[in-house]
Amino acid sequence: MSGTLAVAAGRLPPDAGASSGSLASRLLSDWQLVLPLGLFFLAFVFGPLALLGYVSLHTNVSLEEVTLAQYTKFLFDDFNLGVLGATLWLGLKVTLLTLLIGYPLAYLYSVARPFWQKLLILLIVLPLLTSAVVRTFAWLVILGRQGIVNETLLALGLLEMPAKLLYTPTAVVVALAQIELPLMVLPIITVLASIDPNLRQASQSLGAGSWRTFFQVILPLSAPGVLAGCLLVYASSVSAFVTQTLVGGGRQMFMPFYIYQQAIQANNYPFAAAIAMILLFSVLSIVVLVNLLARRVRVLSHG
Amino acid sequence: MQVVADPTVDERPSDPLEGPVRPQERALSGAASSAANVLLQRVTHRYGGFTAVADVDLEIAAGEFIALLGPSGCGKTTLLRIIAGLMRQSEGHVTIGGEIVDALPTNERGAGIVFQSYALFPHMTVTANIDYGLRARGKPKGERSAIVARMLSLVRMEQYAQRYPKQLSGGQQQRVALARTLAVSPRVLLLDEPFGALDKNLRLGMQIEVKRLQRELGITTVMVTHDQEEALSMADRIAVMSEGRVEQLGTPEDIYDRPQTLFVANFVGTANLFSGRLARDGERFTIALDAGGTLSIDAASPCSRAGRVMVSVRPEQLVFAPLGPGTLPATVELALPLGPSVVCELALDNGEKVKVTLARTGALAGLAAGSRTGLALSPGAPVAVFQA
Repeated sequence: MSGTLAVAAGRLPPDAGASSGSLASRLLSDWQLVLPLGLFFLAFVFGPLALLGYVSLHTNVSLEEVTLAQYTKFLFDDFNLGVLGATLWLGLKVTLLTLLIGYPLAYLYSVARPFWQKLLILLIVLPLLTSAVVRTFAWLVILGRQGIVNETLLALGLLEMPAKLLYTPTAVVVALAQIELPLMVLPIITVLASIDPNLRQASQSLGAGSWRTFFQVILPLSAPGVLAGCLLVYASSVSAFVTQTLVGGGRQMFMPFYIYQQAIQANNYPFAAAIAMILLFSVLSIVVLVNLLARRVRVLSHG
Repeated sequence: MQVVADPTVDERPSDPLEGPVRPQERALSGAASSAANVLLQRVTHRYGGFTAVADVDLEIAAGEFIALLGPSGCGKTTLLRIIAGLMRQSEGHVTIGGEIVDALPTNERGAGIVFQSYALFPHMTVTANIDYGLRARGKPKGERSAIVARMLSLVRMEQYAQRYPKQLSGGQQQRVALARTLAVSPRVLLLDEPFGALDKNLRLGMQIEVKRLQRELGITTVMVTHDQEEALSMADRIAVMSEGRVEQLGTPEDIYDRPQTLFVANFVGTANLFSGRLARDGERFTIALDAGGTLSIDAASPCSRAGRVMVSVRPEQLVFAPLGPGTLPATVELALPLGPSVVCELALDNGEKVKVTLARTGALAGLAAGSRTGLALSPGAPVAVFQA
């Protein structure tokens, strides 16, 4: 009987393609629809990028000699590799911290009543409505020697002297995590909302408790949102020039500041261009690698 | 779709359950037919000011198949979710297998529910879906794979074991959902509109299959449906619900032939409703219809008090007869040949419409629109009479 059923179910009428064809011919064809954005990207993304790549292949601004010298100079120097490593490591720490804070927040949102949902989404999105520079200065106020944290701790008698909170690696991670948090929370909220609520109830009726339901059903099904959030936060935090520089105070060098220093202060445009290209491809390859890995464990294909 | 001799009849597991067993342990025995009776006592549920379920008393015997039938919003799904423990009733008690389960969460009630949307875990294969509940109960691996294999063969899905839900048709997904629920050998099987998402051809096949499984496993089953044919064909007893109350509880024959309320007469099957005046006529009763004409019946039930009444007559209880005393004069308006039968719509002289179902044989002649005919009750037809 199941064989008969399977055949009956497999024989779907192939009329879906026919109707979409006539629809497309009435509207614009695909390439026409892509054209405006394509031109924009060509002029303002790929063009400058190509220019950057071109500049990076020269020894100096006169652009006479084509060479890979800038790249070898970067890649065979421990200081430079240290800066690259610190930047990528910073991105990882920020991503993990936002995930640690962001997932519970998104989960809370998904189980909250409508009134609390409205309040929560406002709190989550609010930081996006102010510029990253303003948010960074807010952290300077909070963490400074006479900042809110130190004043409070002193007043409570928990500290004798103001602690050095600002211009530390931890401060950079914490500030960046707060600033990038919406990028983590929003994709996870979206994916949690798309999970059929019956799945949770089905899991319970099969005898699973809340923890098993969460780890076996909810968490795996929210993986695509977690992945999207992680990639967004990672890419955004490794290149967060303002926050890295102001909260870090330049004590620890990160790639964006290094680029700025080489281009503006040292006037070494080819080397700055090479650093930019290296940062770009490092982040790009991490993103691609993580995506491939996720695909392998079927995280994406069945979400 | 052919009906074949079933090779899985002997699949009933032979675990002897000796001595008193706690429900949770009994559930662990794996696909055993540990059917339990279900008792609902004065169950009431309110959403804010709205009463979704009102004072429902229902006793379901072990191994019985009960259908909760009613229009949408009648409270039948709420009642099912209360039994499952997915929601807590405002008042009253739910007893499963002699144990009051009001305080037990869903995962400790031993009530397995199959959702209308099936709710299969999309990131797990068919095997992993069926295995899920067994793992949650911490069964050893060997036992688990034996039960999974038995369940796959029970629902005839062996060759799809490694597929993911979205690679399956609706009917196949439903079989998996059933297998997944049955694998943990629930004490009660709850089906929430189980065939609602299937197209008509598949539906009949699955109805037969579910009924077969229910018989084989002897499992207590509660099915929610708004489809009266489904309820009439599958259930041992039907509870017809309206506005949160059970209007009538009875066998399919009771419900169809002896409706106790006007609502049941109207909701189950098709009914022609006439208003008239009931009078006793020796051993028999007569009803003088407002539309003209008189019906003579053997017994007036559920209302036999003389006076104003509503009478419900099924389309198949009426036959054509020559015009004359004791018949209803009517004019043919429309005849729809539906394969084996013909449905006619006629107008009585006051304009009221009447539906009549006739066997096809020789019936088509004389059904031209506009022709006059008399209508009579077929002898012994169980017409239902209600106080107006």
